[in-house]
Amino acid sequence: MVLKRLNSILVFCFVVNMLTAQKTNDIKLLTQKKEFISGSAIQLSFKNTSEEQIKLIVKNSYGTRILNASQKENTINFIIPEYISKVRGNLFWKIISKSNQLSGSIKVLPREKPKTIETYLGPPSIIAGGKDFTMLVTIPTDKFDNPLKEKTPVNIKTQFLENESISEEKTNNIIVYKNIFSPLKSGRMIISSESHQLNSTEIDAAIMPDNAINYDIFYSQNHNYADGNQITSFYTSTIRDAHQNIISDGTYVYFIVQNKNNKILKTSGTTINGVATAKIIHPDKEDNWQISSYIQGIAESNKTLNLTFNKAVLDYNYELLDHNRTITVGPIKSFQNQMIPDGLEVSLTLLNEGKEIYKTLKTSRKGFVSFKIDKNIYPDGIYDIRIKSAGITKELQKIKLW
Amino acid sequence: MVKNNKYFIRVIAMFFYIIVISILLFLVSSLYTYLNTGADRSKMLHLEVKKIDQYLPKIAWAENGNEGRFVDDETLKNIENDYLDAWYVNHVSNKTNTTAGIEDYYTKNARKKIYDFIDENKKNNISIASTTINHNPDILFFSEDGQLIVLEDKEVIEYSSIYENDKFLYDYTSKASYKMMLLLEDGFWRIRHKIKENEEDLIKNYTNVSIDTFEIRGINYYPQKTPWDTFGDNFDKDVLDKDFKLLNNANINTIRIFIPYVDFGKANVDQEKINKLKTLLDIAETNNLKAVVTLFDFYGNYNVLDWTLNHRHAEAIVTNLKDHNAILAWDIKNEPDLDFNSRGKQNVIAWLEHMSLIIKSIDKKHPITIGWSNIESASILKDAIDFISFHYYEDVDLFEEKFNQLKKEIPNKKLVLGEYGLSSYSGFWRPFASSEEKQEAYHKKMQKVLTEKNISFMSWTLYDFDKVPKEVVGSLPWRTNPQKRFGFIDTKGNLKPSFKYISKQ
Repeated sequence: MVLKRLNSILVFCFVVNMLTAQKTNDIKLLTQKKEFISGSAIQLSFKNTSEEQIKLIVKNSYGTRILNASQKENTINFIIPEYISKVRGNLFWKIISKSNQLSGSIKVLPREKPKTIETYLGPPSIIAGGKDFTMLVTIPTDKFDNPLKEKTPVNIKTQFLENESISEEKTNNIIVYKNIFSPLKSGRMIISSESHQLNSTEIDAAIMPDNAINYDIFYSQNHNYADGNQITSFYTSTIRDAHQNIISDGTYVYFIVQNKNNKILKTSGTTINGVATAKIIHPDKEDNWQISSYIQGIAESNKTLNLTFNKAVLDYNYELLDHNRTITVGPIKSFQNQMIPDGLEVSLTLLNEGKEIYKTLKTSRKGFVSFKIDKNIYPDGIYDIRIKSAGITKELQKIKLW
Repeated sequence: MVKNNKYFIRVIAMFFYIIVISILLFLVSSLYTYLNTGADRSKMLHLEVKKIDQYLPKIAWAENGNEGRFVDDETLKNIENDYLDAWYVNHVSNKTNTTAGIEDYYTKNARKKIYDFIDENKKNNISIASTTINHNPDILFFSEDGQLIVLEDKEVIEYSSIYENDKFLYDYTSKASYKMMLLLEDGFWRIRHKIKENEEDLIKNYTNVSIDTFEIRGINYYPQKTPWDTFGDNFDKDVLDKDFKLLNNANINTIRIFIPYVDFGKANVDQEKINKLKTLLDIAETNNLKAVVTLFDFYGNYNVLDWTLNHRHAEAIVTNLKDHNAILAWDIKNEPDLDFNSRGKQNVIAWLEHMSLIIKSIDKKHPITIGWSNIESASILKDAIDFISFHYYEDVDLFEEKFNQLKKEIPNKKLVLGEYGLSSYSGFWRPFASSEEKQEAYHKKMQKVLTEKNISFMSWTLYDFDKVPKEVVGSLPWRTNPQKRFGFIDTKGNLKPSFKYISKQ
């Protein structure tokens, strides 16, 4: 009984073995080679003893294709088309068969030598001083646009003024990259790369000057009278960075003026060749200015300038006409008794019992200003009149208008 | 009299006037409204582009730093978006052999290599429905100017189904690793180099969870007022509690419930629905009931490009509920074999198999099954699932024999009768077809076999219904009306004679 059972188990095992053996032996890979160079002819051969029509799935990085076999006796061949065999990477294949699950992979290796060298440089401009850097990424590719294999040597070449350097790198994860730190001087750096005697085109990186350091300020003016007409120019010394590079043109420089009454005036200019110039009009009454300058958030002037403006108009006359309703102020004369240039402000205030009831502002023309007090609005009566110009106030008490 | 008449005519005239004016007003205002709709200036420029979910494989970025510049979250999000889109457009082009979208996600040199395949496959009438199930990308390098990345994507599981002349040829699942270089060009991260490092067949390991010792005495459950809509607006805890108490008292220990795919929010599962489901399970637990949760109800697409969305749906539900005590098992899909003809048998089976792998990867504790519509389909995917469940609406006398045959075919897995029942409908559309007595006799017979052979069962269903949605059996009255009368309790709430045989005595 035991024997019989053993026997039947044996028979069972044999049958199972036969079945499985047949399954795996039906189709067998004959091609032994596992690695091919990109673009070379690849053919996969199988031994096929079954009657079945076999197809082959081939799949690479970019797609899948179904291949039909060419059969010679018990051997079937699949020729991998060039557009598949040229692509670097794993080429997965799988037999389409009812009885068989055979699958495998071959490797397509990139060619040894590059055809093109792709280079990317960024950022394209960096700041001098050795802290900032730009990054060069280089990808040498073969004639089928495959990145070359890992550890391909690539030389990265840089030129800046008299300095030329070559550094030897190796590809890792498809690419070679190198951080190129800025020199102390501003200018233009030329960068290129080379692999297997193939050179990339040159790329240049602009080395921009570093941030400005503190600077001096100066002024120039025609005279120092407060005539409300002349213009004073402020300008800076040549502004440089810490490495003596002249800062970039167009840097915005502010000039801040604090006057006698602690009011702030502001003017600004942009640099050309490191010098910024800004202009400001003279005050129209005597004043004293404290001038400082800054580049926002970066640098400021070393010292504060002190500027005094003298009186240009020492005094002026006025005349009351036409029932005192026309007030003519003038002539207003400047520092050499010349008529003041047009545009000096003169204000007139009409007061009634100490209360301001009318105020008007006019600018001088040919040294004179004329005010009219309208009868229809301001009826006849006794008024006080106040005239103000060039810092000089005239109080006219109890003037009768009629 | 004359005066009265005059008044009468006046009133009539007034009413007539008002009616005519209202009609005119209505017409004019309708015309005005019509002319003012459809031209919304804010929509003229398509300023608002809504992102729709079309491809959501599981993606897990390696957080191990990278060479070069630091990758911030915003950049990573952009890369992820474009990277997945690149895969998506590639899948679409594989399937349709068109180049739509490739330009946006592959650089000039890279897209040429894809076009080569498209051209050849178009010529040979090959189309490939493919999808990736997961991605594990790791950024290796990010350039200082933020324009170039190199990434590695390891163990990407890819399913491909190949069609030749529109006929299914072959399908397979593989696992591959890639290295890629992407460039930021006009705001798109485009693939410049794609290098497959390796690829092999995916070996599917099924680790089975046994529930052999648990004897299911179950019922398929819908509330009486809201059949096929358990989690809708009329979700009522009190109704559930009342029903579950009744079931528990009737010696039932399991309910089978259904999760509608669209209603639960498709790929973005609605948390409110999850909460309702949790509430239902809580009530089941307090009433000593276990639940077989059937996913993907009212879903029937199975399109390979839809898979990742389905996966996110299942993932959300299973992840949220896998620790609930009331869960007995996951039923992946109700009667998927009915979709074999319309959606392709191979396609549906592959969908089920991958879904089972996804659910098993999340919940290792609970068994899974598939609710096959008949006993003949029950052996499909028998290795992938933990117990076999099938529905039986055929001749009651043949049940035992058919069951024995299946048991012989699948001796080592628990077999569960997932649905069975008989309608008691007899009426205009099917006179004398059945009756409550016939239903009673049916259940008596079935229960006898089930008890004798100790078969786990879940009957269809607790209640007779007033309405059956047309998605279930269509809208033909001779089909919907019998469907309304499968219950053990009639529409008025009276126990039908069959109720005696709802479970073992």
